[in-house]
Amino acid sequence: MQKITLKTLLIIIPGSLYILLSAANAYSNDWKPQIVEKMYVLPPQHLNKVLNSDFNKSLLALNLQNKDNVIKNKIDKITELNSYLPNASKEEILEIKHQIILNKRDYIKEMNDLLLMKRQKLNTKKDFFEKIQKNIKYNSVNNNPESKFFINKNNAIKRAQKLDFKILEKTAFNLSENSRYFNQYKINKDAISKLEAAIKNHPMNSKSNLSKEPENKLEAIRNYIHNIETEIAVLEMKEQMISYMAKIVALDAMDLAEKVAGINSDTNNNQFSGKNYNDPTEALDVFTQL
Amino acid sequence: MSKFIINSTFIFLLTISTYANANPIHNLERERAKTLDIVLDKSISIEERKKQLDKSKMRLLDLERITINNKNISENPSVHTIKAFENFDLTFLVHTSIEKNKPLSITWFEKIGLTTENILNTRVSRR
Repeated sequence: MQKITLKTLLIIIPGSLYILLSAANAYSNDWKPQIVEKMYVLPPQHLNKVLNSDFNKSLLALNLQNKDNVIKNKIDKITELNSYLPNASKEEILEIKHQIILNKRDYIKEMNDLLLMKRQKLNTKKDFFEKIQKNIKYNSVNNNPESKFFINKNNAIKRAQKLDFKILEKTAFNLSENSRYFNQYKINKDAISKLEAAIKNHPMNSKSNLSKEPENKLEAIRNYIHNIETEIAVLEMKEQMISYMAKIVALDAMDLAEKVAGINSDTNNNQFSGKNYNDPTEALDVFTQL
Repeated sequence: MSKFIINSTFIFLLTISTYANANPIHNLERERAKTLDIVLDKSISIEERKKQLDKSKMRLLDLERITINNKNISENPSVHTIKAFENFDLTFLVHTSIEKNKPLSITWFEKIGLTTENILNTRVSRR
């Protein structure tokens, strides 16, 4: 019995792990920025650009685009149907109105989906910037210029840099004994200093000075988060609008249903026009006529 | 059956717990200990010690440079790392010895307080 339980557990555990993985894959329609590490070093304005281009490549962007087209088609259809109304007969009007209500219902559904997707996009963007913000805060704490470790590490770098030339002189006589790292170190150090000088003299470097300092970078990222939050607030208002639109469509549908019922009652009344045979006084003639 | 479960659990735990532990400070400390071992080894000749020390110094120099220039080391530094940078002279022995123009062994002896003067003073105090 115990063996069976153990075997079952061995089957269930990988199975449940597989289900978890499949669930994770099911959310692959979402947008997950793929460039976190690279982006962290970029100035915020470039960061935003790269994030947007990453979004444009995502499946969510494609879905948003498709949804936009669907919504546009729905609106075109509603406008077209509305244009038929003035020249339509009474029964045609009912049918057109019915079609308009159906299209409006679809429009609301699609619009709701679109707003959800937009919200998803904004939330992902917000999460991303918050993560970067957290990283900057974390690193600025660890790389605090006033911390003892930071001072010690900087001193170590300076002392080592001063000794680079002396080390090269001292070890020049036994070059064959030098390691591969040792030989590459000098070449790479020279290349790094050349690149650093090029970065320093680059015209774009002075432009992005504002975003270099952790505090400035944090401020810029805070601004992005603030903008995203305002966009989310606007979306919430749009969602409210959609709920009102849904109410109006429901009321229109009720109105149409009543009109249809009215016509039916009219036609029913027409069938028995003149005399109501459910009343005995009206049926007197039937009985009294010889 | 139980043996199979134990084995599979062990493999599973091994798989999830495997990660690259490449703290440069640990490698440096290991190499430094080896170098000091050569310095203190009485069983080898002076020639042999010199030969071994030259090789070891080169490895130590590489590791010192790797440690000093490592940018990741500042992220959440361990007590070990903080202490290592606090005592530059003892941690980065090759750099210190070149800076002071003294052999590596003398630099280390001096830093831990084993100077000729100190040793002679101990003999005086014993009498």
